[in-house]
Amino acid sequence: MAIDSQGKSSFPRGVHPPESKHLTEDKAIVPGPAVKELAILLSQHIGAPSQAVVAKGDAVEAGQVLGECQAFVCAPVHAPIAGKVKEVALQPHPVLGRSPAVTIAAEQEIEPALPAFTLPADFDPANFSPDQICDAVRDAGLVGMGGAGFPTSVKLSPEAKPPKHTLLVNACECEPYITCDNRLMLEWTDQVIAGIRLAQRACGAAKVYIGIEDNKPQAIETMTAAVAKLGLAPSMTVTPLETKYPQGGERQLINAVLKTNVPTGGIPPQIGVVVINVATAAALADAVIHNRPLTHRVVTVTGEAIAKPGNYYVAIGTPVQTLIDFCGGVTTKGAKVVMGGPMMGLAIADLSTPITKTSGAITVLTKTQIGRAKFERRETACIRCGRCLEVCPENLNPTKIAHAVKSNLLDLAEKYYIGACIECGCCSYVCPANIELTGYIKTGKVFLARQRKKMPV
Amino acid sequence: MLRDITISFAPHISKPLSTRRVMIDVAIGLVPAVAAAGLYFRIHALLLVGVCVAWCAVTEWVCNAIRRKPNTLGNFSAVVTGIILALSLPPNLPLWAAAVGSSVAIVIGKMVFGGLGANVFNPAMVGRAFLTASFGVLMTTWTVPATINTDMPTISADSPNVIDTRTQATPLAWSKTAIKQQAEAKTFGSRQFLSTLTGEVGGSLGETSTIAILLGGIYLLWRKTIGFHIPLAVVSSALVFGGIAYLINPDTYVQPFFHLTSGALLFGALFIATDPVTAPLTRRGMWLFGIGVGAITMVIRVLGEYPEGMMFAVLLMNAVTPLIDRLCRRIPAGGKPHA
Repeated sequence: MAIDSQGKSSFPRGVHPPESKHLTEDKAIVPGPAVKELAILLSQHIGAPSQAVVAKGDAVEAGQVLGECQAFVCAPVHAPIAGKVKEVALQPHPVLGRSPAVTIAAEQEIEPALPAFTLPADFDPANFSPDQICDAVRDAGLVGMGGAGFPTSVKLSPEAKPPKHTLLVNACECEPYITCDNRLMLEWTDQVIAGIRLAQRACGAAKVYIGIEDNKPQAIETMTAAVAKLGLAPSMTVTPLETKYPQGGERQLINAVLKTNVPTGGIPPQIGVVVINVATAAALADAVIHNRPLTHRVVTVTGEAIAKPGNYYVAIGTPVQTLIDFCGGVTTKGAKVVMGGPMMGLAIADLSTPITKTSGAITVLTKTQIGRAKFERRETACIRCGRCLEVCPENLNPTKIAHAVKSNLLDLAEKYYIGACIECGCCSYVCPANIELTGYIKTGKVFLARQRKKMPV
Repeated sequence: MLRDITISFAPHISKPLSTRRVMIDVAIGLVPAVAAAGLYFRIHALLLVGVCVAWCAVTEWVCNAIRRKPNTLGNFSAVVTGIILALSLPPNLPLWAAAVGSSVAIVIGKMVFGGLGANVFNPAMVGRAFLTASFGVLMTTWTVPATINTDMPTISADSPNVIDTRTQATPLAWSKTAIKQQAEAKTFGSRQFLSTLTGEVGGSLGETSTIAILLGGIYLLWRKTIGFHIPLAVVSSALVFGGIAYLINPDTYVQPFFHLTSGALLFGALFIATDPVTAPLTRRGMWLFGIGVGAITMVIRVLGEYPEGMMFAVLLMNAVTPLIDRLCRRIPAGGKPHA
């Protein structure tokens, strides 16, 4: 379905939190901190965790495989720097608590540098076969870098049924504060476009849409010009979208651009659509053209409590503490460190937590900001005002689900489709009674998984 | 440096909106109606509002103290209940009766269910229903507004031919009497209609001035404190059912727009039926609820013994709200999962 490039498409409902992107949106991508020791988590993706293939004391080269596994839905991890394996042990993980990781120690501090990506003059996606691209993507350990971390090779797999008709490039960056994807589009335009074209070639989609929220007019302009210059229109279209959270949720993006819904409990490939993030596209170009594994990524370090916010090119495995110190440290106002944005990001308790492939941002929030948030205020009774229903992008009934979970009525929670929740946080964001609706729903999902014995107690 | 790190579920920011703010907004929306009540019914009207608010607050505080629960006066819901109850009372009601009604509203209407959010019925309407059942005469004595409007018929149900300068029939009661006496309801002309707009008619404190109610309602809609669904559903269903009655027999039934501006229809549609706690959660549910309120109101007004039916309509629909919520369950955006 053609979308008027002037029109502002959007999914229904959702919220519009303060964007707060002014802190870093004009800061060019610069190299991150020098590193001496990195902890590379073996599970940075959805699917089976990788197993370490190196042992303590082994010398490793930059780019060498540290962990891999044979499962279909899996992604290997690689060494960002050369050094010695210091240990293979549990390290803090943003989601899993503590999780196995390979720690590499270098001889001396390694000064970072921006990657030298050069697009060959004769670059043409047709020179690469879909299988070749998929293999390169798998070997490079590419996962969805927008946050979910789904292995990219699985998505692109050309044999998968049904055939893919559309590739959607998720450049919404709907989370407040985060600007890394915006900067990638402005500065690494050629690499991003090359990655998109390779992804299109791999999955065989005839049509490509690049969805960008209209609070990034420069990115819309740059990408539109780049697409026009290469003569890729009309099969590739830049689609400006309304600035609204969670526009970059994959199901919401598909609704906004294609005006269709992914079935509840299903995934986009079922309806012939592949969604990839801008950062993934950039990494994909690097992986396919230069055979470079995914070992670094751009991270936005931001928040009112950060002295020098900016967009940094960081080695995966860098401890959050190192990155924060590099940005001038946290001011006295700082009270909460979030990996990701403030709507869906994970608050971490241990600042030695390493950056992963999916960490797009470190947001340090102030006491006043979280003082306004639910956690700091007392939860009061639900007045059934229905605001959570008004904003739920998945058209659920968050208050019913949350209260069912609270009363330990998991059957009732399922009757209200708890499984369809995307955990975007809109309901908690608007709740005037300070109820942690999203928190209850997440908890309920864990309880249900335990009931079905899919997760250890 | 970071000494105390907070961790919690996402999201880590939130909209600066609280239950207290929602309730204060409703109270602000009621200000024009309170002002109109003060203008037409003078000091006794304001005393009634004051007594109801104070008594509701005291009762809630005592209930919480007895139950050893934290004080909940801070959410201002008792204030809103008090104002709405006061505005639904006749202007001449003794203050002690208002206090009794307030206590019943808070205790039976709200606190026995566990407080705000758990109540099944609109507390103010519970209080009013109790007063109507207990003090029938007091609750149907309608004082003439201080700014006397000589256009209004001064007959009352029990003494239709005696000119009474102190009390006056409400427009609805009068039209009901007119029907009984085979008089022509059509004689209710445009000047009386205008009076129902400004509020110079007999009636409960807050229901008489259509203009004041609309002002407050527009404020609530603008603040998004209430949605338009319930008020629109109530009003349109009342118009449809009133219109049907009028079309069947225009000689005995008043025209539907008269129903809209007189009695508690508009006040109820904007301030009582929209009480979020006792109304359905989903949009479809809200439409059903509103249509039900409008329809029941009109059935009582047109066919019933009472001249006014808003209170009973709201209470009856409150009772079926859990059923409506179950009936109008939301379907996820991606359709029902294939389980």
